[in-house]
Amino acid sequence: MVDAGQNASIDNLDKDQMKTFSDFLMSYNKLSEMCFTDCVRDFTSRVVKDNEERCALNCMEKYLKMNQRISQRFQEFQMIANENAIAMAQKSGKL
Amino acid sequence: MAMPQISQADQAKLQLMQEMEIEMMSDLYNRMTNACHKKCIPPRYGEAELGKGEMVCIDRCVAKYLDIHEKIGKKLTAMSIQDEELMKKMSG
Repeated sequence: MVDAGQNASIDNLDKDQMKTFSDFLMSYNKLSEMCFTDCVRDFTSRVVKDNEERCALNCMEKYLKMNQRISQRFQEFQMIANENAIAMAQKSGKL
Repeated sequence: MAMPQISQADQAKLQLMQEMEIEMMSDLYNRMTNACHKKCIPPRYGEAELGKGEMVCIDRCVAKYLDIHEKIGKKLTAMSIQDEELMKKMSG
């Protein structure tokens, strides 16, 4: 009984971890594609130029900062929506 | 006695609904991130910091995106309710 429960929780943990890992890999690929298309236009040489590298690294850092900001704002909206829902529920409970 | 019994099938259904909602939320988040990145960050990466204008743009973009999302949701619900009533009338 105890074993089965533990196994289930390990399975769940694994599933969540796998999801997080695959999300990470997907965003890694997406970031590479995006920054490559935005920063590398010159194919007269096979080496990555200094300015291309700088551009790509800036592109990545900026994207992560943008993501941080969007997630902050998203959470704020989520919180307000939650509070509104709770207030509505209380109001309809009183009526 | 007063507590309504929740059957196992209902519980499974509820969990599935919750999972769908989480999935939907993360999809919304990803789409919003893509849209606001496209609209607010020009593809010139001279520096890694977000500019002031870019920050303001992102804040407004998120607010507007969620606002539009809500408005479309409301209209969609209203339309589907109308549709259902019409169907009932037609069949009844």
